[in-house]
Amino acid sequence: MRIKINQTEYDIHVDSDTPLLWVLRDHLNLTGTKYGCGIGTCGSCTVLVDGNPVRSCITPVSNFDGKEIITIEGLSPDNSHPVQQAWETLQVPQCGYCQSGQILSAIALLNKKIDPSDSDIDQAMSGVICRCGTYPRIRKAIKQAAASLRLIGETP
Amino acid sequence: MKPFSPDRRKFLKLSAGVTGASLVLGINWSCSNDANIDHTSGTDVFIPNAWLRIDTKGSVTVLVAESEMGQGPFTLLPMMVAEELEVDWHQVRVERAPLTPVYGYQMTGGSSSIRKGWETLRQAGAITKEILRQAAALSWHVPVSECRAEQGQIRHIPSDKTLTYAQLVPQAVGVQIPETALLKEPEEFHIIGTPAPRLDTPEKINGKARFGIDIKLPGMVYATITHCPVFGGKPKNIDAEKTRQIKGVLDVFSIDEGVVVLAKDTWTAFKGKAALQIDWDFGDKQSLSSDSIIKTLEALHIDETTEIVKQGTPDNLLDEKSIKSRYTLPFQAHVTLEPMNCTASYQDGKLRIWAPTQSPSEAYDAARAATQSKITRATNKIKSKLFDSVDDSIEINTTLLGGGFGRRLEQDFVSEAAQIAQRIEKPVQLTWTREEDIQHDFYQPLTLHEMRGTLDARGLPVAWHHTIKGTNAKPEGANILPYDIPHIRVDLIDIGKILPVGYWRSVQHAYNAFAVEHFFDELAHAGNHDPLELRLQLMSKAARLKKTLEVAADKAGWRHNSDLFGVASHAGFGSYVSEIVQLKEQGNRLKIAKITCVLDCGIVINPDIAKAQMEGSIVFGLTAALKSSIKIKDGQVQQSNYHNYPILSMAETPPIEVFIIDSNENPEGIGEPGVPPLAPAIANALFAATGKPVTDLPVPFDSQGIKVT
Repeated sequence: MRIKINQTEYDIHVDSDTPLLWVLRDHLNLTGTKYGCGIGTCGSCTVLVDGNPVRSCITPVSNFDGKEIITIEGLSPDNSHPVQQAWETLQVPQCGYCQSGQILSAIALLNKKIDPSDSDIDQAMSGVICRCGTYPRIRKAIKQAAASLRLIGETP
Repeated sequence: MKPFSPDRRKFLKLSAGVTGASLVLGINWSCSNDANIDHTSGTDVFIPNAWLRIDTKGSVTVLVAESEMGQGPFTLLPMMVAEELEVDWHQVRVERAPLTPVYGYQMTGGSSSIRKGWETLRQAGAITKEILRQAAALSWHVPVSECRAEQGQIRHIPSDKTLTYAQLVPQAVGVQIPETALLKEPEEFHIIGTPAPRLDTPEKINGKARFGIDIKLPGMVYATITHCPVFGGKPKNIDAEKTRQIKGVLDVFSIDEGVVVLAKDTWTAFKGKAALQIDWDFGDKQSLSSDSIIKTLEALHIDETTEIVKQGTPDNLLDEKSIKSRYTLPFQAHVTLEPMNCTASYQDGKLRIWAPTQSPSEAYDAARAATQSKITRATNKIKSKLFDSVDDSIEINTTLLGGGFGRRLEQDFVSEAAQIAQRIEKPVQLTWTREEDIQHDFYQPLTLHEMRGTLDARGLPVAWHHTIKGTNAKPEGANILPYDIPHIRVDLIDIGKILPVGYWRSVQHAYNAFAVEHFFDELAHAGNHDPLELRLQLMSKAARLKKTLEVAADKAGWRHNSDLFGVASHAGFGSYVSEIVQLKEQGNRLKIAKITCVLDCGIVINPDIAKAQMEGSIVFGLTAALKSSIKIKDGQVQQSNYHNYPILSMAETPPIEVFIIDSNENPEGIGEPGVPPLAPAIANALFAATGKPVTDLPVPFDSQGIKVT
């Protein structure tokens, strides 16, 4: 099976029912995508597929044939992605474990809505849980990233 | 570059032997075999003490012997060093200190990192600054008094010549080390007290941060474990046939704690675990339930042996006419987002551990006990408090922690990984499923609080009686009241650790603050007093707590006798916190409109991190107050994953405002003190709104808000 992750094609040899999460983590050493619950309830394993958020812990790798997968490692070489920059400016992470899922979910939201309301943010982000309680900062960071994206006239 | 390569670990040990916690000069020219050393070629490194390294490229690396789990020690402790050393924040790097005796017993808990580091790390910076001043004076042949440290360089004041710390590295080696150095006064601080950006943020937004679960070793295999669902049970018969048929499953075997599946990757191990058929001997805890524990606690009564606080003559004033209440608080789990895991390798008699642990010292003890014969294990557990040295056959590497909250003070996962590694003699990563993580936690104890109070003719409380009952219940947070109540009695009835209980963010302060602060409002209401006014009136001996309350009332716009506000204050971990919850009505629900928090933690090392800790503590408290609880039935935890042990979500998080009191008192804890006032502030707001006290947590809540009955 061949899958494309962060612009790179990988040949992989695993059972086709293996969730993408474990292919990323244990076979490709892309450990930025996290295991949290294994049943799609916590969002730590979120990746982007064609710009949409997907729970990689419950989605078999075979579903990704011919799709474009972006993981946290694929955002920028230097933390320069506008969402990463907003996260840095607002000092969002505490333990940091859930933040890959938070950042990718935020990007998926901004792909659709360049000026998200509070309720858009609630809806898009409420499936990604943070035990450290960084939600107030995530909300601010999404708004800041949205503002800077609007300024440069781009989508994330 | 000199060719020799001294063993840095040995150096640190010797340092400890000679001077204890003070400072010894050493130098490390090149340590190609030491993973803790920067491998940048040609960089000489000046190591003035165990906490600090300065290289010839201008980097200052601070070694932190505390576990980073989000609460900020990887930034806060380097700030203390940088303040005294006079370096720019962008020059500072951080590294996790290894487990060596020079750092003392390594345990991160009880909101202690700042308090432990405050003197030592500032001294480490200040003494090093003195060495660098003397090194500059020697190279210029001028008096030290003419040399000033500023922004990573020494300036000769009369001539305006400068040498950077990087340039001074070679000269610094020969300088005699002063034993102590003068520390700055708070008004001289220019790093402490600023919102310096966290040193761990960059790697936490690009996937590069390495948590325990991210460790990869050459030739590593993957393991998962199944514990008996009933506490203390053991496997009677293991049918692993289906598991072994799964391609990629390498082995199935038992260790003390449960049944291990070994596989080529984590997913295959999980699949193998799901296919196991285990016949358990459930042991003697299978009739245990939350309900049976509550019944047991209800049946126990106070006597002279349960009394732990007595002030005045409370027994004469407490009678049938006293106001009474009872609160039941459930078991709670930690559910760190990173499930329990540990990586271990056992090769050639050497055990190496990579663990997301709050206590490397306890991890060491657990690993040592686990890899010795079973006969000596029990003895070792008793000896574990005697940690005073580290032998080289066990190495503990502490990774970043994907959340801790007290769960990772327990080292069960380290013991398991060590046993597996020793058995298979290959590197192995043990990862628990989320279900195992929730069902085999060390829970916040279940507690019952029986309250009695008597008012005088003015409606002021004159007598107070609090009976704390629980599984490993403790009195802190209830045994010293901030209020002027003349007659006080506190009793403690503890039935011990009948199931695994442990440390949960703010520990006993969480449940005791709930009982004290909620019952205070019941008394205020009965005496026709505004609960905030009454608190202020009775806080004559609690000036710092009172100040947080005054500021909170002002910032939140407290309205007297309003039915939409609730307040609670609590002192713990050296700090003082008041929180005010403001409700709003929405249909047949109450929603939290805003939470205002005021913190006095003494000198604030980093106000942005202190605020983040308050925000996080409030969200943590909200989860327990509104959403989650652990229920035991038939000796088993009934919850299994985030669908039935839900965590507060973004949409459910109200606006939170945090204010910090200016102070020149010594800096105190920030990780935990924000949790205790939250639940009682919610309960007090609900009590104001409904007239009914909150007797059980969590309160009924759904996506629309708090249900009012």
